[in-house]
Amino acid sequence: MSPLSRPSSPGPAIEYRGVTYAYSGATAPALQNVTLTVNSGERLGVLGPNGGGKSTLLKLTLGLLPLQAGEIRIFGRSVREARSERLIGYVPQRSLAELAFPLSVRQVVEMSALAGSAPWRGLARDARARIDSALDVVGIAEIADRHIGGLSGGQFQRAMIARALAGGPKILLLDEPTVGIDIAGQVQFGNLLATLHERLGISVVVVSHDLRAVAAGCDRIACLSRTLHSHTSPAGLTPAVLAEVFRHDVGAIFGDVHVDAHAASTCTDPSHAHDAPLPVSITAKPRTSRAEEP
Amino acid sequence: MTSRTLEYLTSPDLAGLYWPGVVTGLIIALSTAALSVLTVLKRMAFIGQGISHAAFGGVGLAAAFGLVGGSAASGTVAQFLVVFGFCFFAALLMGGLVRDTSGVQTADSAIGIVLVASMAGGAILMRTATRNVSWESFLFGDILSVGWADAAVAGACALLILALLAWFRRPLLFHTFDSAAARAWGINGKRLDYLLMLVLALATVTAMKLAGVVLATALLVLPGATALRLSRRAWSVLWLAHAAGIVGVVAGIIVSFEADIPTGPSIVCTLTVLFASAATAAAFESRARRTATSVNTTERETP
Repeated sequence: MSPLSRPSSPGPAIEYRGVTYAYSGATAPALQNVTLTVNSGERLGVLGPNGGGKSTLLKLTLGLLPLQAGEIRIFGRSVREARSERLIGYVPQRSLAELAFPLSVRQVVEMSALAGSAPWRGLARDARARIDSALDVVGIAEIADRHIGGLSGGQFQRAMIARALAGGPKILLLDEPTVGIDIAGQVQFGNLLATLHERLGISVVVVSHDLRAVAAGCDRIACLSRTLHSHTSPAGLTPAVLAEVFRHDVGAIFGDVHVDAHAASTCTDPSHAHDAPLPVSITAKPRTSRAEEP
Repeated sequence: MTSRTLEYLTSPDLAGLYWPGVVTGLIIALSTAALSVLTVLKRMAFIGQGISHAAFGGVGLAAAFGLVGGSAASGTVAQFLVVFGFCFFAALLMGGLVRDTSGVQTADSAIGIVLVASMAGGAILMRTATRNVSWESFLFGDILSVGWADAAVAGACALLILALLAWFRRPLLFHTFDSAAARAWGINGKRLDYLLMLVLALATVTAMKLAGVVLATALLVLPGATALRLSRRAWSVLWLAHAAGIVGVVAGIIVSFEADIPTGPSIVCTLTVLFASAATAAAFESRARRTATSVNTTERETP
């Protein structure tokens, strides 16, 4: 058994119930009545436009913003408890790190394991084993001694995932994972998520505005633009739903991305379907999208 | 080492005058080396410059309290506390840690404003408070103005700086490397920003005595900048920064003694020469590596 896997707990990984959040001074809430379940061991993609409340949802899940209304349970625990038990491994956007720092890949991965430890204490043996295992599972063990600034976009992302995994989390939370990654890297990213899922049984939440990011490695997609959209559409992730979420012509945004019937059908989660009217009107009528072409 | 350096440091009449400055110089090199790496990486050189110029306002304030020009040890400590307090407050203002509710003022303009206001205020206060203190020694430093009490204050500051950096090294590194992730890991970034400003202010006030308010930033930037040109390994960067700082200070002092030039500017010039050498060496090395790579590829391509 990998040092990274933790005993599984019953119940869903994350449950959002009626989560609403409004920033002070804003005219409309950033999130409104979001109810969503991330099942244990599932890979869920949260797709939505910029400003659609994705990062608010992310910050609420990480406990960086206080919950105003509704409830978030992470493996049955509160956000605070989940944080202190390090249940969630967070992978931030690439652009935020200082790549000029004279640090090796391994030192960056060690950072998370050392963050909370006493200044006079070194790495414990089990933490060291977790770090080795994390470097290995994402496939960067050979370049662990390289300078962090000398990596490709894909390699750097793997390092960030390894850093998140080194804490032994049960949920991996990725923020815009495909920004700055080329097409080949995006395919590899999808494969990596599948590997992690297979070997560690970890639950994964990918938050992105890019359909490719969530389509690549996720087995279910939730569309978020202030409220959840995919769950209100019986047909699942159709171009119409996407158009509504992004308020644009889908073909124009996504180019030749193909949403197949399988992805569309797994997108709908009937247990959360509700009949509330859609709060957002369609401002741009979808043309025939390429996703609909044979 | 020729005669004059030996004479200054060994003759019974002069040793007491010069040794405190030399010891203080070494202490400053040790206390600023690690910090200078962070200053360069986090692009805080301009804030450092702002803090050191703010020190002149602090000196003016100390002069207004009658704390400048005396030689008593208690006066030295009191002057240090006033200048440090002033610098720390200025650092908070410039670091944006004192909340600007209008949201208009940027960190950049905050530094510009605090810097000139402190210099102007300091000049006025010093002029009105005392007429027999030379400004030059505060602007560019003066090794002869450094006494054992100053060396002791610098030593205490260095110990505090190194202790704080060592104690908080892990969260500080995480926060400065990737603050978004560090926050998600439960690290309080705001507190660490306060800590950074505190340490910067302490180091500046320590360095000011020898190098003056205009040149103190050199010690907070050049050793780190030199080391980062030469290595990308954390430990070697740290060692190289310490080595650059110590070599710069020692060589600068020797040059100043031998050539009979002011010590502060001499140290800054030596540090700059070290940096320029490191930058040149790094440029040559990267060019050599590029050439080697292209030669290798050509060799591989031609059977």
